[in-house]
Amino acid sequence: MQIVYHLIVFYLTCHFIWYLFREKKFWNKVSVALVLIMFLLRLFLIK
Amino acid sequence: MRNIKGNFISALLLLFAIAICFLSTLKFLSMQKKEAIFPSRGLTSRKMLSSYFPGLKKTWGDTDVYLYEGQEKGGNLLILGGAHANEPAGFITAVLLIENIQVSTGKIIIVPRANNSGFTHSQPQEGNPQRYSLESPWGRRHFRHGSRLTNPVHQWPDPSIYINPAGQKLSGADSRNLNRCYPGRKTGSLTEKIASGIMELIKKEKIDLALDLHEAAPEYPVINAIVFHENSADLAALTLMELQIEGFDFRLEASPTNLRGLSHREWGDHAQIMAILLESANASHGRLKGKTSPALIVEGKDKNYMKAAKLGLLFVPYGEDGIPLKLRVARHLAAVKSILSNLEELYPEKRIEIKNMPSSSELKKVGIGPFLNPPN
Repeated sequence: MQIVYHLIVFYLTCHFIWYLFREKKFWNKVSVALVLIMFLLRLFLIK
Repeated sequence: MRNIKGNFISALLLLFAIAICFLSTLKFLSMQKKEAIFPSRGLTSRKMLSSYFPGLKKTWGDTDVYLYEGQEKGGNLLILGGAHANEPAGFITAVLLIENIQVSTGKIIIVPRANNSGFTHSQPQEGNPQRYSLESPWGRRHFRHGSRLTNPVHQWPDPSIYINPAGQKLSGADSRNLNRCYPGRKTGSLTEKIASGIMELIKKEKIDLALDLHEAAPEYPVINAIVFHENSADLAALTLMELQIEGFDFRLEASPTNLRGLSHREWGDHAQIMAILLESANASHGRLKGKTSPALIVEGKDKNYMKAAKLGLLFVPYGEDGIPLKLRVARHLAAVKSILSNLEELYPEKRIEIKNMPSSSELKKVGIGPFLNPPN
């Protein structure tokens, strides 16, 4: 179960990073970066 | 050119996110660090819970077990603190006993952080502080203020409905509540394995009497209470009378036979021992409190609770002095002392004799700090 969870979080993290570079608008980029923090923390199971 | 600028901003934002993650990680990982406990000279040995149940080895459920054995044979007592890591009176009472006592007759086993995983995170959505501190002659000592439940990082996901090892249907989050998981499952979740480890300890150390130290909100009906299994009814009744003579207001609560998975029920049913759970009143634990701060945890003063007391909404007296931690710990210590003296009266062969136990009246006067050991 934990592996499936990790894979989902990893996929979404990659997706956000890709989106961060693709997005043109500055404030949208900032929003993505903020969401990314939570996903990185979950990816490494810190919180 | 515009693309390069956009990518540069994205890279900067990515670095910003990584930096925030790094700083947050340091903060979260610091919550996993155990505060030091400095045992008294009377300590006979120190083990890990995994030495009773190897299934806990290298997990966050493994925890320290302190053994104090007297030269004369007598009864065997288990004291459990920190089953709920956000109930500091139970944990601090266990710490004070570890740092002070010497046992001359019988055996005392103390587990201060029964649910070690619960100490590694905070109660979600409560704005609880991560630590509280106590002044001692040797400087300030900091203690973790954890959560009632096992850390979801260590046990995930919660089921929609949890059917505990004793067959009781509970809410999903209770699958991480140690005091709903007895008698445990050896192949179950982390919390069930901890419960199983404690049951193994009780059986292997031939425990006669086990005490589980807790706290609850002042508006909760089972408060300032001695909750007893029918195996320990006489002991609990005698203890209540003695404590009331000493000026401590306690009430007796029989362990309900249809509420399964709790320590006082399953320890008695599955290990046939005398099982008692003690509750004290903690304002930082309740729904009516204002801001939760380290001061509220230690001093126990809250304006909302004073108002609630005036409106008659509480099950305990609550005045301007609040219910400080030193008083809550003093109550637990007075109960432990009284339980031991009555154990001797009822079962002389199970006598347990302790020296250097912190006196509850002294504790109420001078506070907890002077009873803490210097760092070694």
